[in-house]
Amino acid sequence: MNTELQSFILKNAVDEIKKACPKVSNTFIFTDQGEILAKDDNIEEKAAACAANALNTVSKRSETIGGFESATFYNASNRVHVFRSNSYNLALVGSEESEGEVCSKLARILVPTVLKVIEKSCDFSDEETPAENLTAENEEQDGEKDSDLEAEVVTAVEVEPDEARKAEELAQTFLPDPPVTQLLIENVYGIVLGKDTARIDGRVIQQWVDLYGDLQIDEVEVETLNGQSTRCKFRPIKDAKHYGRGIIQLPQKIQQTLQTSKGELVIVKPVVE
Amino acid sequence: MGRKKIARSTTATVMVDDSSVTPTLEGNQGFSELHASLAKIGKIPGVKGYILKNLTSAVIDLKNPAKLVEYALLTSEVADACDESSILFDLNITRAVVTGKKLKMLGIILGENKLAIFMEKTVNHTDISDRILP
Repeated sequence: MNTELQSFILKNAVDEIKKACPKVSNTFIFTDQGEILAKDDNIEEKAAACAANALNTVSKRSETIGGFESATFYNASNRVHVFRSNSYNLALVGSEESEGEVCSKLARILVPTVLKVIEKSCDFSDEETPAENLTAENEEQDGEKDSDLEAEVVTAVEVEPDEARKAEELAQTFLPDPPVTQLLIENVYGIVLGKDTARIDGRVIQQWVDLYGDLQIDEVEVETLNGQSTRCKFRPIKDAKHYGRGIIQLPQKIQQTLQTSKGELVIVKPVVE
Repeated sequence: MGRKKIARSTTATVMVDDSSVTPTLEGNQGFSELHASLAKIGKIPGVKGYILKNLTSAVIDLKNPAKLVEYALLTSEVADACDESSILFDLNITRAVVTGKKLKMLGIILGENKLAIFMEKTVNHTDISDRILP
Protein backbone atom coordinates (compact mmCIF):
# COMPACT_ATOMS: atom_id res chain seq x y z
CA MET A 1 0.00 0.00 0.00
CA ASN A 2 1.46 3.34 -0.94
CA THR A 3 2.15 6.07 1.57
CA GLU A 4 -0.43 8.44 0.09
CA LEU A 5 -3.19 5.91 0.52
CA GLN A 6 -2.02 5.16 4.06
CA SER A 7 -2.03 8.87 4.92
CA PHE A 8 -5.46 9.25 3.35
CA ILE A 9 -6.90 6.43 5.47
CA LEU A 10 -5.31 7.75 8.65
CA LYS A 11 -6.48 11.27 7.87
CA ASN A 12 -10.01 9.93 7.57
CA ALA A 13 -9.65 8.17 10.92
CA VAL A 14 -8.41 11.39 12.49
CA ASP A 15 -11.34 13.33 11.00
CA GLU A 16 -13.81 10.74 12.24
CA ILE A 17 -12.47 11.10 15.76
CA LYS A 18 -12.96 14.84 15.55
CA LYS A 19 -16.51 14.36 14.33
CA ALA A 20 -17.27 12.00 17.21
CA CYS A 21 -15.63 14.31 19.72
CA PRO A 22 -16.39 17.88 18.59
CA LYS A 23 -14.48 19.36 21.50
CA VAL A 24 -11.27 17.77 20.33
CA SER A 25 -9.51 20.66 18.67
CA ASN A 26 -6.42 18.94 17.30
CA THR A 27 -5.57 15.37 16.41
CA PHE A 28 -2.46 13.89 14.92
CA ILE A 29 -0.75 10.53 14.55
CA PHE A 30 3.01 10.25 14.71
CA THR A 31 5.70 7.62 14.78
CA ASP A 32 8.46 7.05 17.32
CA GLN A 33 10.78 8.82 14.93
CA GLY A 34 8.64 11.96 15.07
CA GLU A 35 7.18 11.56 11.59
CA ILE A 36 3.63 12.93 11.34
CA LEU A 37 1.53 10.29 9.59
CA ALA A 38 -1.74 12.18 9.71
CA LYS A 39 -3.11 15.35 11.22
CA ASP A 40 -6.27 17.35 11.13
CA ASP A 41 -6.47 20.60 9.20
CA ASN A 42 -6.44 22.79 12.30
CA ILE A 43 -2.89 22.06 13.30
CA GLU A 44 0.20 23.13 11.43
CA GLU A 45 2.75 20.53 10.42
CA LYS A 46 5.48 22.31 12.37
CA ALA A 47 3.46 22.46 15.58
CA ALA A 48 2.53 18.81 15.29
CA ALA A 49 6.17 17.90 14.70
CA CYS A 50 7.32 19.90 17.73
CA ALA A 51 4.68 18.30 19.92
CA ALA A 52 5.55 14.87 18.58
CA ASN A 53 9.20 15.38 19.46
CA ALA A 54 8.38 16.47 23.00
CA LEU A 55 5.99 13.57 23.49
CA ASN A 56 8.44 11.10 22.00
CA THR A 57 11.05 12.21 24.49
CA VAL A 58 8.65 11.39 27.31
CA SER A 59 7.85 8.11 25.61
CA LYS A 60 11.52 7.13 25.44
CA ARG A 61 12.16 8.09 29.05
CA SER A 62 9.19 5.96 30.08
CA GLU A 63 11.28 2.82 29.76
CA THR A 64 11.93 3.25 33.46
CA ILE A 65 8.22 2.71 34.18
CA GLY A 66 8.00 -0.31 31.93
CA GLY A 67 7.59 1.39 28.56
CA PHE A 68 5.19 4.02 27.37
CA GLU A 69 1.48 3.24 27.15
CA SER A 70 -0.30 6.57 27.32
CA ALA A 71 -0.07 10.04 28.74
CA THR A 72 -2.44 12.84 29.58
CA PHE A 73 -1.31 16.40 30.02
CA TYR A 74 -4.04 18.55 31.47
CA ASN A 75 -5.30 21.47 33.46
CA ALA A 76 -8.75 22.26 34.82
CA SER A 77 -10.38 22.46 31.40
CA ASN A 78 -7.97 21.33 28.69
CA ARG A 79 -6.06 18.20 28.00
CA VAL A 80 -3.66 16.52 25.64
CA HIS A 81 -4.06 12.76 25.41
CA VAL A 82 -1.41 10.56 23.86
CA PHE A 83 -2.16 6.92 23.17
CA ARG A 84 0.34 4.42 21.91
CA SER A 85 -0.41 1.53 19.58
CA ASN A 86 2.45 -0.59 18.22
CA SER A 87 4.96 1.98 17.01
CA TYR A 88 2.38 4.69 16.43
CA ASN A 89 1.14 7.40 18.75
CA LEU A 90 -2.13 9.26 18.58
CA ALA A 91 -2.40 12.69 20.16
CA LEU A 92 -5.73 14.33 20.93
CA VAL A 93 -5.92 17.90 22.12
CA GLY A 94 -9.25 18.77 23.62
CA SER A 95 -11.10 20.86 26.06
CA GLU A 96 -13.84 18.65 27.39
CA GLU A 97 -13.41 16.26 30.24
CA SER A 98 -16.77 14.53 29.80
CA GLU A 99 -15.76 13.31 26.36
CA GLY A 100 -12.53 11.87 27.59
CA GLU A 101 -13.97 8.39 27.91
CA VAL A 102 -15.41 8.45 24.39
CA CYS A 103 -12.20 9.81 22.92
CA SER A 104 -10.17 7.30 24.82
CA LYS A 105 -12.24 4.41 23.51
CA LEU A 106 -12.14 5.76 19.99
CA ALA A 107 -8.42 6.20 20.17
CA ARG A 108 -7.87 2.79 21.64
CA ILE A 109 -10.19 0.97 19.25
CA LEU A 110 -10.57 2.88 16.01
CA VAL A 111 -7.02 3.96 15.34
CA PRO A 112 -5.30 0.67 16.26
CA THR A 113 -7.88 -1.14 14.11
CA VAL A 114 -7.22 1.15 11.17
CA LEU A 115 -3.49 0.81 11.66
CA LYS A 116 -3.77 -2.96 11.91
CA VAL A 117 -5.83 -3.12 8.74
CA ILE A 118 -3.26 -0.98 6.97
CA GLU A 119 -0.43 -3.19 8.22
CA LYS A 120 -2.28 -6.33 7.16
CA SER A 121 -2.97 -4.80 3.77
CA CYS A 122 0.72 -3.99 3.42
CA ASP A 123 1.63 -7.56 4.38
CA PHE A 124 -0.90 -8.85 1.92
CA SER A 125 0.47 -6.65 -0.84
CA ASP A 126 3.98 -7.88 -0.12
CA GLU A 127 2.91 -11.49 -0.27
CA GLU A 128 0.63 -11.16 -3.23
CA THR A 129 3.31 -11.64 -5.87
CA PRO A 130 4.91 -14.80 -4.44
CA ALA A 131 1.48 -16.33 -3.90
CA GLU A 132 0.54 -15.69 -7.52
CA ASN A 133 3.82 -17.16 -8.66
CA LEU A 134 3.19 -20.25 -6.62
CA THR A 135 -0.24 -20.71 -8.18
CA ALA A 136 1.14 -20.22 -11.66
CA GLU A 137 3.85 -22.75 -10.99
CA ASN A 138 1.32 -25.24 -9.74
CA GLU A 139 -0.66 -24.89 -12.93
CA GLU A 140 2.37 -25.63 -15.03
CA GLN A 141 2.61 -29.15 -13.58
CA ASP A 142 6.04 -29.79 -15.03
CA GLY A 143 9.01 -31.47 -13.42
CA GLU A 144 10.29 -28.34 -11.78
CA LYS A 145 6.98 -27.56 -10.08
CA ASP A 146 7.36 -29.89 -7.17
CA SER A 147 10.72 -28.69 -6.04
CA ASP A 148 9.49 -25.10 -6.25
CA LEU A 149 6.42 -25.95 -4.21
CA GLU A 150 8.53 -27.66 -1.61
CA ALA A 151 10.76 -24.63 -1.45
CA GLU A 152 7.70 -22.49 -0.80
CA VAL A 153 6.59 -24.73 2.05
CA VAL A 154 10.04 -24.69 3.59
CA THR A 155 10.00 -20.92 3.40
CA ALA A 156 6.63 -20.87 5.14
CA VAL A 157 7.97 -22.98 7.97
CA GLU A 158 10.95 -20.71 8.54
CA VAL A 159 8.90 -17.89 9.98
CA GLU A 160 10.61 -15.11 11.90
CA PRO A 161 9.70 -14.88 15.63
CA ASP A 162 7.82 -11.60 15.12
CA GLU A 163 5.83 -13.04 12.27
CA ALA A 164 5.06 -16.09 14.35
CA ARG A 165 3.79 -13.90 17.15
CA LYS A 166 1.64 -11.94 14.73
CA ALA A 167 0.30 -15.16 13.33
CA GLU A 168 -0.57 -16.34 16.83
CA GLU A 169 -2.40 -13.11 17.53
CA LEU A 170 -4.27 -13.50 14.29
CA ALA A 171 -5.15 -17.07 15.14
CA GLN A 172 -6.55 -15.96 18.46
CA THR A 173 -8.77 -13.33 16.89
CA PHE A 174 -10.62 -14.23 13.71
CA LEU A 175 -9.31 -17.34 12.03
CA PRO A 176 -11.72 -19.34 9.92
CA ASP A 177 -12.46 -22.91 10.91
CA PRO A 178 -9.99 -25.41 9.45
CA PRO A 179 -11.30 -26.79 6.15
CA VAL A 180 -11.93 -30.52 6.08
CA THR A 181 -10.74 -32.41 3.01
CA GLN A 182 -11.28 -36.04 2.14
CA LEU A 183 -8.21 -37.65 0.60
CA LEU A 184 -7.35 -41.10 -0.76
CA ILE A 185 -4.52 -42.97 0.92
CA GLU A 186 -1.47 -44.07 -1.03
CA ASN A 187 1.64 -45.71 0.26
CA VAL A 188 4.87 -43.79 0.47
CA TYR A 189 8.34 -45.24 0.77
CA GLY A 190 11.83 -43.90 1.16
CA ILE A 191 14.16 -42.81 3.90
CA VAL A 192 14.24 -39.10 3.07
CA LEU A 193 10.78 -38.51 4.45
CA GLY A 194 10.27 -39.18 8.14
CA LYS A 195 8.07 -42.02 9.32
CA ASP A 196 5.73 -39.52 10.86
CA THR A 197 5.41 -37.18 7.88
CA ALA A 198 2.57 -37.39 5.38
CA ARG A 199 2.69 -36.12 1.81
CA ILE A 200 -0.41 -34.23 0.80
CA ASP A 201 -1.80 -33.02 -2.51
CA GLY A 202 -0.16 -29.64 -3.24
CA ARG A 203 -3.48 -28.10 -4.24
CA VAL A 204 -4.93 -28.80 -0.80
CA ILE A 205 -1.92 -27.20 0.86
CA GLN A 206 -2.27 -24.23 -1.47
CA GLN A 207 -5.87 -23.80 -0.35
CA TRP A 208 -4.70 -23.64 3.26
CA VAL A 209 -2.08 -21.05 2.34
CA ASP A 210 -4.75 -19.00 0.58
CA LEU A 211 -7.02 -19.26 3.59
CA TYR A 212 -4.55 -18.60 6.39
CA GLY A 213 -1.94 -16.45 4.68
CA ASP A 214 1.38 -16.54 6.46
CA LEU A 215 0.10 -18.42 9.47
CA GLN A 216 2.44 -21.28 10.17
CA ILE A 217 0.82 -24.70 9.82
CA ASP A 218 3.11 -27.45 10.99
CA GLU A 219 0.78 -30.39 11.36
CA VAL A 220 -2.38 -31.91 10.01
CA GLU A 221 -5.00 -34.01 11.72
CA VAL A 222 -5.78 -37.17 9.82
CA GLU A 223 -8.96 -39.06 10.70
CA THR A 224 -10.33 -42.25 9.26
CA LEU A 225 -14.00 -42.78 8.54
CA ASN A 226 -13.99 -45.10 11.57
CA GLY A 227 -13.02 -42.27 13.85
CA GLN A 228 -9.34 -43.15 14.37
CA SER A 229 -7.25 -40.00 14.23
CA THR A 230 -3.69 -38.80 14.59
CA ARG A 231 -1.62 -35.72 14.05
CA CYS A 232 1.45 -35.67 11.85
CA LYS A 233 3.76 -33.39 9.97
CA PHE A 234 3.24 -32.93 6.28
CA ARG A 235 4.88 -32.00 3.01
CA PRO A 236 3.46 -31.57 -0.49
CA ILE A 237 3.57 -34.58 -2.84
CA LYS A 238 6.58 -34.21 -5.09
CA ASP A 239 5.23 -35.91 -8.15
CA ALA A 240 3.52 -33.33 -10.39
CA LYS A 241 1.05 -35.81 -11.81
CA HIS A 242 -0.57 -36.15 -8.37
CA TYR A 243 -1.34 -32.47 -8.15
CA GLY A 244 -5.04 -31.84 -7.58
CA ARG A 245 -5.93 -35.53 -7.43
CA GLY A 246 -6.94 -35.60 -3.78
CA ILE A 247 -4.24 -37.97 -2.59
CA ILE A 248 -2.46 -38.32 0.71
CA GLN A 249 0.63 -40.50 0.92
CA LEU A 250 0.97 -42.03 4.38
CA PRO A 251 3.96 -43.94 5.75
CA GLN A 252 3.20 -47.42 7.07
CA LYS A 253 3.63 -46.27 10.65
CA ILE A 254 0.81 -43.74 10.36
CA GLN A 255 -1.38 -46.21 8.50
CA GLN A 256 -0.91 -48.68 11.37
CA THR A 257 -1.75 -46.04 13.92
CA LEU A 258 -4.94 -45.23 12.06
CA GLN A 259 -5.66 -48.90 11.36
CA THR A 260 -6.15 -48.08 7.72
CA SER A 261 -4.43 -48.82 4.42
CA LYS A 262 -3.92 -47.80 0.81
CA GLY A 263 -7.13 -47.06 -1.07
CA GLU A 264 -9.07 -46.00 2.03
CA LEU A 265 -10.37 -42.47 2.52
CA VAL A 266 -9.29 -40.20 5.34
CA ILE A 267 -10.39 -36.77 6.44
CA VAL A 268 -7.58 -34.26 6.68
CA LYS A 269 -7.56 -30.81 8.22
CA PRO A 270 -4.77 -28.41 9.10
CA VAL A 271 -3.94 -27.94 12.77
CA VAL A 272 -4.38 -24.22 13.36
CA GLU A 273 -3.39 -23.11 16.87
CA MET B 1 21.50 -26.46 50.46
CA GLY B 2 19.42 -23.47 49.41
CA ARG B 3 20.47 -19.99 50.29
CA LYS B 4 18.20 -17.63 52.10
CA LYS B 5 17.24 -14.56 50.16
CA ILE B 6 16.67 -11.35 52.01
CA ALA B 7 14.50 -8.77 50.31
CA ARG B 8 15.16 -5.21 51.34
CA SER B 9 13.13 -2.14 50.73
CA THR B 10 15.25 0.96 50.88
CA THR B 11 14.07 4.51 51.04
CA ALA B 12 16.56 7.21 50.32
CA THR B 13 15.82 10.85 50.91
CA VAL B 14 18.12 13.29 49.21
CA MET B 15 18.07 16.98 50.01
CA VAL B 16 19.76 19.30 47.55
CA ASP B 17 20.10 22.94 48.57
CA ASP B 18 21.64 25.84 46.77
CA SER B 19 22.16 28.58 49.31
CA SER B 20 23.51 31.04 46.75
CA VAL B 21 19.98 31.67 45.55
CA THR B 22 17.54 32.81 48.19
CA PRO B 23 14.03 31.63 47.46
CA THR B 24 11.08 33.78 48.36
CA LEU B 25 9.39 33.08 51.65
CA GLU B 26 6.21 32.23 49.80
CA GLY B 27 8.01 29.74 47.57
CA ASN B 28 9.78 28.17 50.53
CA GLN B 29 6.54 27.75 52.41
CA GLY B 30 4.92 26.18 49.37
CA PHE B 31 7.83 23.83 48.99
CA SER B 32 7.69 22.79 52.63
CA GLU B 33 3.96 22.24 52.51
CA LEU B 34 4.29 20.17 49.38
CA HIS B 35 7.06 18.15 50.98
CA ALA B 36 4.84 17.45 53.97
CA SER B 37 1.96 16.38 51.70
CA LEU B 38 4.25 14.16 49.66
CA ALA B 39 5.64 12.54 52.78
CA LYS B 40 2.11 11.43 53.63
CA ILE B 41 1.37 10.37 50.06
CA GLY B 42 4.56 8.34 50.04
CA LYS B 43 3.03 6.08 52.67
CA ILE B 44 0.04 5.17 50.52
CA PRO B 45 0.30 1.52 49.42
CA GLY B 46 1.45 1.30 45.83
CA VAL B 47 3.23 4.65 45.82
CA LYS B 48 6.84 4.06 44.82
CA GLY B 49 8.21 7.46 45.67
CA TYR B 50 8.31 11.08 44.65
CA ILE B 51 10.50 13.87 43.40
CA LEU B 52 9.92 17.48 44.34
CA LYS B 53 12.04 20.28 43.02
CA ASN B 54 12.14 23.95 42.32
CA LEU B 55 14.90 26.25 41.15
CA THR B 56 16.83 25.98 44.40
CA SER B 57 15.88 22.75 46.17
CA ALA B 58 14.99 19.19 45.51
CA VAL B 59 13.66 16.33 47.56
CA ILE B 60 13.83 12.83 46.22
CA ASP B 61 12.28 9.94 48.06
CA LEU B 62 12.24 6.67 46.16
CA LYS B 63 11.82 3.13 47.37
CA ASN B 64 14.19 2.07 44.61
CA PRO B 65 17.04 4.60 44.72
CA ALA B 66 18.85 2.79 41.92
CA LYS B 67 16.39 4.35 39.50
CA LEU B 68 16.89 7.86 40.82
CA VAL B 69 18.51 9.20 37.66
CA GLU B 70 15.96 7.63 35.32
CA TYR B 71 13.06 8.93 37.38
CA ALA B 72 14.61 12.39 37.58
CA LEU B 73 15.07 12.48 33.81
CA LEU B 74 11.50 11.35 33.20
CA THR B 75 10.25 14.00 35.61
CA SER B 76 12.20 16.64 33.79
CA GLU B 77 11.04 15.52 30.33
CA VAL B 78 7.41 15.45 31.43
CA ALA B 79 7.71 18.97 32.80
CA ASP B 80 9.26 20.08 29.51
CA ALA B 81 6.47 18.37 27.55
CA CYS B 82 3.92 20.21 29.70
CA ASP B 83 5.59 23.51 28.85
CA GLU B 84 5.90 22.64 25.18
CA SER B 85 2.25 21.56 24.92
CA SER B 86 1.14 24.70 26.72
CA ILE B 87 2.93 26.88 24.19
CA LEU B 88 1.99 24.89 21.08
CA PHE B 89 -1.69 24.50 21.86
CA ASP B 90 -2.14 27.64 23.89
CA LEU B 91 -3.01 25.74 27.05
CA ASN B 92 -1.84 26.12 30.58
CA ILE B 93 -0.88 22.54 31.32
CA THR B 94 -0.12 21.97 34.97
CA ARG B 95 -0.57 18.24 35.42
CA ALA B 96 0.38 15.08 33.61
CA VAL B 97 -0.16 11.39 34.02
CA VAL B 98 2.22 9.14 32.15
CA THR B 99 1.19 5.51 32.18
CA GLY B 100 3.80 2.87 31.58
CA LYS B 101 3.38 -0.86 31.30
CA LYS B 102 4.43 -1.36 34.93
CA LEU B 103 4.02 1.95 36.72
CA LYS B 104 2.56 5.37 36.20
CA MET B 105 3.75 8.81 37.03
CA LEU B 106 1.75 11.81 38.14
CA GLY B 107 3.47 15.10 37.41
CA ILE B 108 2.30 18.42 38.80
CA ILE B 109 3.59 21.94 38.21
CA LEU B 110 2.80 24.43 40.94
CA GLY B 111 4.43 27.69 40.08
CA GLU B 112 8.13 27.10 40.32
CA ASN B 113 7.63 23.82 42.15
CA LYS B 114 7.56 20.71 40.04
CA LEU B 115 6.77 17.33 41.48
CA ALA B 116 6.43 13.79 40.27
CA ILE B 117 4.89 10.86 42.08
CA PHE B 118 5.56 7.32 40.92
CA MET B 119 3.03 4.66 41.70
CA GLU B 120 1.56 1.37 40.69
CA LYS B 121 -1.04 1.54 37.97
CA THR B 122 -3.80 0.49 40.35
CA VAL B 123 -3.33 3.53 42.57
CA ASN B 124 -5.92 6.27 42.07
CA HIS B 125 -3.82 9.19 40.86
CA THR B 126 -6.83 11.54 40.88
CA ASP B 127 -7.14 11.01 44.61
CA ILE B 128 -3.47 11.76 45.05
CA SER B 129 -3.73 14.80 42.84
CA ASP B 130 -6.62 16.06 44.96
CA ARG B 131 -4.53 15.73 48.10
CA ILE B 132 -2.01 18.11 46.61
CA LEU B 133 -4.44 20.39 44.79
CA PRO B 134 -7.65 20.27 46.83
